[in-house]
Amino acid sequence: MTGLHTRAQYAFVIRQLTSREIKRKYSRSYLGIVWSVLNPLLSMAVLSLIFSQLFRRSIENYPIYYLTGYILWQAFTGATTAALTALVDNKALLLKVKFPMELFILTRVYTALINLGYSLAAYVVMLLVFGVTPKWTMLLSPVIILLLFLFSLGLSYILATAYVFFGDVKHLYAVALTLWMYCSAIFYPVEQLHGVIRWVIWANPMYTYIHCLRQAVMYGQLPGTVQWLQMILWSAALYILGSTVFRRNRNRIMQKI
Amino acid sequence: MGEDGARQVEIAVRHVTMEFRRAKQEAGSLKEWMVRALKGGRQYERFKALDDVSFTVEKGEVVGLIGTNGSGKSTMLKIISGALVPTKGNVIVDRGKVQLLTLGTGFDLELTGRENVYLNGAIIGYTKRYIDENYEKIVRFAELEGFMDEKVKNYSSGMVSRLGFAIATVRDTPEILILDEVLSVGDLFFRQKSEARIREMIHGGSTVLIVSHSPSVIRNNCSKAIWIEKGKLRAVGPPKEVCDAYEKRKEG
Repeated sequence: MTGLHTRAQYAFVIRQLTSREIKRKYSRSYLGIVWSVLNPLLSMAVLSLIFSQLFRRSIENYPIYYLTGYILWQAFTGATTAALTALVDNKALLLKVKFPMELFILTRVYTALINLGYSLAAYVVMLLVFGVTPKWTMLLSPVIILLLFLFSLGLSYILATAYVFFGDVKHLYAVALTLWMYCSAIFYPVEQLHGVIRWVIWANPMYTYIHCLRQAVMYGQLPGTVQWLQMILWSAALYILGSTVFRRNRNRIMQKI
Repeated sequence: MGEDGARQVEIAVRHVTMEFRRAKQEAGSLKEWMVRALKGGRQYERFKALDDVSFTVEKGEVVGLIGTNGSGKSTMLKIISGALVPTKGNVIVDRGKVQLLTLGTGFDLELTGRENVYLNGAIIGYTKRYIDENYEKIVRFAELEGFMDEKVKNYSSGMVSRLGFAIATVRDTPEILILDEVLSVGDLFFRQKSEARIREMIHGGSTVLIVSHSPSVIRNNCSKAIWIEKGKLRAVGPPKEVCDAYEKRKEG
């Protein structure tokens, strides 16, 4: 019964909360977690059916191009939209807990990461199906995913804090995500765009993560120095900003709740 | 203060003031908030949920905290359990020992009873091994044998509170148990059983803080009562006297 505040206990709490999130999410479906695998595949099938022809000349392996972007984007939106309501959903628990309430946010983001793991299983199969040859640059994927995870976590802290005070944030963020998605070049080639929009996409951190993963997996290329800097700076900046915002507002969150 | 006797102070609440800054018109939406921020006329009124409250709870005491809704009871609880930091004053208590039990909260209705025992146990600080070892005991006390693989949403409210009580009180070690309106509901039989369990814990050296707006609960279980009204400490003393005063006040 000792060691209430040890890391092992936190890990146990995170495991329990995560398994609850996953069970909850699929508690009313027969296939359950299999949906995490099926969803990206079905989406890939649909998009490939429509756009493969259109982008035939600019993208050589459209299904994989799309799938790479899609699973990262799903992980990101899954993490942030779930984390947005993490504090409000767990109102009742927040009073009882003996651990930092960040864990609730962390758990939601971590759950998305677990889901990404299942999607990656589908992804690997598709890589084989579409004849993508193994490359050593693929080993870089976990690093990119880790950076994306930090980025999502930082943003999640901010969103979850904001949502405690303003219910609107949820709707606003949903709209923002749509815009963000179109600026992330998930299903179209970025080369065809010019001018301001090209700059927007270039500056968009989500695009950078997606682009670097595509480069590493599809073309065997390492991210350039600028891209490394972009990824690392975005992740670090958002994480630091997010945890600072959260820490500063901790007491006010409890009052409000 | 009371250090001369054999008794040891478990919770010392010292001059606690909790001030909330409340916008005169709550900005419920981002737009409203921005409009108001731009106008520069964000008006706040300060209101004191707790105003210079001090009391101590000694080891082995069963203290009842009484007051009407909105009197500041739950703010006090949040401060004692460490969820809120008071504006002024402080509370001295070993937070690792504090166990807060509120009704029905913390259960996930979509999960089974078994899953909820682990989830809840983890949240209130039990290790996996501890839950494994005490699982049977929890189920037996809650009288839920045969229901544990059922989803909690199919439980009756009595079953839920039994399970909550069983999880929170399975621990034998001396500690501080805070019961928030827990004893005022549930069927009579289980209420007697849980009151008996609380007495058992007191014998084991636990300190109990019972929060209720019902004087009878306080009279039946406590050795000392504290009455908080509108954020101010109104009375501290024997449960009978304090509860009588509380009832008179309500009538008047």
